[in-house]
Amino acid sequence: MRWLVKQALVPFFPESDGLPGIAALDLDGFLDRYQREAAPLMRLGVLLGAVVFTVTPLFTVYRPVPSFWLSADTLDRHADRISSHPIYLVRQVVFLLKMVGGLCWGQHAATREKLALEPYPADPPKWRTT
Amino acid sequence: MADHVSHTAYSDRRVELDADFVVVGSGAGGSAAALTLARGGASVLLVEAGAWRDPDDYPVSVYGAMRDLMDDWGSTITRGRALWPVVQASAVGGTTVINSAISVTTPGDIFAQWRDTLGVGDADFERSVLDHEARIEQELSVNAVPPPALGRSNELAILADDKLGYGGHVMRRYAKDCEGTGQCLQGCKKGRKQSTNLQWIPEVMERGGHVVSCAPVKRVMFDGRRAVGVTGRFKHPSTRKRGGTFELRARRGVVIAASATHSPALLQRSGVRLPQLGKHFRAHPGTGVMGLYDEIVDMNRGATQGWASTKFRQSPGLKLETLSIPPELVAGRIGGAGHKLMKRLEDYRHMAMWVHAVRAESAGTVSNGFMDKPTVRYTLDRPDMERLRHGIHHVASMHFAAGAKRVVPFIHGFQYDLGPDELDKLLDAPLEPRCYVAILSHLFGGCVMGRDASSGVCDDVGRVFDHENLFVADASAIPTNLGVNPQHTIMGLASHFAERWM
Repeated sequence: MRWLVKQALVPFFPESDGLPGIAALDLDGFLDRYQREAAPLMRLGVLLGAVVFTVTPLFTVYRPVPSFWLSADTLDRHADRISSHPIYLVRQVVFLLKMVGGLCWGQHAATREKLALEPYPADPPKWRTT
Repeated sequence: MADHVSHTAYSDRRVELDADFVVVGSGAGGSAAALTLARGGASVLLVEAGAWRDPDDYPVSVYGAMRDLMDDWGSTITRGRALWPVVQASAVGGTTVINSAISVTTPGDIFAQWRDTLGVGDADFERSVLDHEARIEQELSVNAVPPPALGRSNELAILADDKLGYGGHVMRRYAKDCEGTGQCLQGCKKGRKQSTNLQWIPEVMERGGHVVSCAPVKRVMFDGRRAVGVTGRFKHPSTRKRGGTFELRARRGVVIAASATHSPALLQRSGVRLPQLGKHFRAHPGTGVMGLYDEIVDMNRGATQGWASTKFRQSPGLKLETLSIPPELVAGRIGGAGHKLMKRLEDYRHMAMWVHAVRAESAGTVSNGFMDKPTVRYTLDRPDMERLRHGIHHVASMHFAAGAKRVVPFIHGFQYDLGPDELDKLLDAPLEPRCYVAILSHLFGGCVMGRDASSGVCDDVGRVFDHENLFVADASAIPTNLGVNPQHTIMGLASHFAERWM
């Protein structure tokens, strides 16, 4: 399950000249937290997004293979095309996947440093109990 | 009895408390009602589904805000032509913890509309609500965003307004000495935002009231047609595991203030059967336009929202405002993926996000759904979609007036960005809701005020028709779209209502 989501998220946020890629930003740790903490509907949505991402190369880059068998260039093209797919529900479920990936990518200290933002301290898991 | 009762384990004994009034929901409406009741000498139990977090406990990241402060991770979406998120908090203080604390006095035409077309309220009603709003302004330190806290994005909007004459203004907010940390949406860790968990709820407790948190109410209990309390089961704020049960009994009244989505759903699952219950749900759907500037904007520095214009509130029905968002939200929002997306994200420091909210006439419904999650059915009709498109054009015009070289309108099937000479292409943008990702942030209706049970759920003091000791005191009672930020109206109305229950 984890592997499926991870291989679907990495192509959305690859490393660029000026910004780090999501693969180098403790994606495993983030997905651990997400699996543990997110609402069931959100977890299900991300999993569904990863499945859709994996099985749809035939409809975007015309290759009858799962996404993880695509070459780097073709995978990049697939990620871009599936994120703006004409079928609304496909687009929406991929949007959720990308949004969650964006949370991981955008909040990481390495990304924030490149954008001249202070690193976030840890979110305190506290509330009043008495 | 302790001032504050929170989550108890599944195996623990049932928590049983009683008071004059039980108020369900601690946001703008619930806390205003609870405070008015407490100041009037009544004993109050304030029950809230979310946890109580103080500013030191607020999260800093958007992930943390979704986890700790949003209602069910913000996963409520409209069911209709398009799936649009409905933004609400679940925390002691409600949405006042995560909004931008914008204060706008209820426009006079709203009272006239309620009076003349719906038969709701009279001159005394208007005067009373406005008096409360004036008092609340003082109590919650409403003032304009101080210039040092504006940040460049808000300054650019002011510049654009000067050029276009959009009649805008620096926002007035419930914030004391704002430092412009750009963290409104995650809760202000500096404690500058005067959310109700910091101001009013402590006073309710000082006056002998009690708060029950992590306590989603399952149903209202009745003795015949008379509301006598509420019951439910605690929910752990982190693991979401079900805890022990609670039963809160009310001697004089049960006040429903759980939001425009949860209040009608709660009444429905409690067996209230009124023809208008769950109907007349309305909202201000909003979407944004990103401006790309040559200069560094760093929109995440400065007040999250600092400028607004209500010039187009009546016609075509729009509110324009700034809204800075952090990189983790921009990453999901910007179109494309892969290297194309990363290239676009490299411009983050040069981006300014401004938005518009549509004063939509479309109405939807709310019902109690699976696992007690409210189901919101809502679709914008064509005139509202035309308003939405109009708003995008206005916001894009502002960006160009402020010196943006390109704008990004976030429309599926449309070109990613446009230059100044392409502005009018936006007037031909699609009117299909599925081409947009709008957010519903201001919600109204579901338990609307009316003359009688054929036209509303409650009367003009929040009393639910055909029931005794059952009241509504939140945005769900508001029968029409305001066209401005509703927090002030909700607080004014709830205070006016509660005064009359005494």
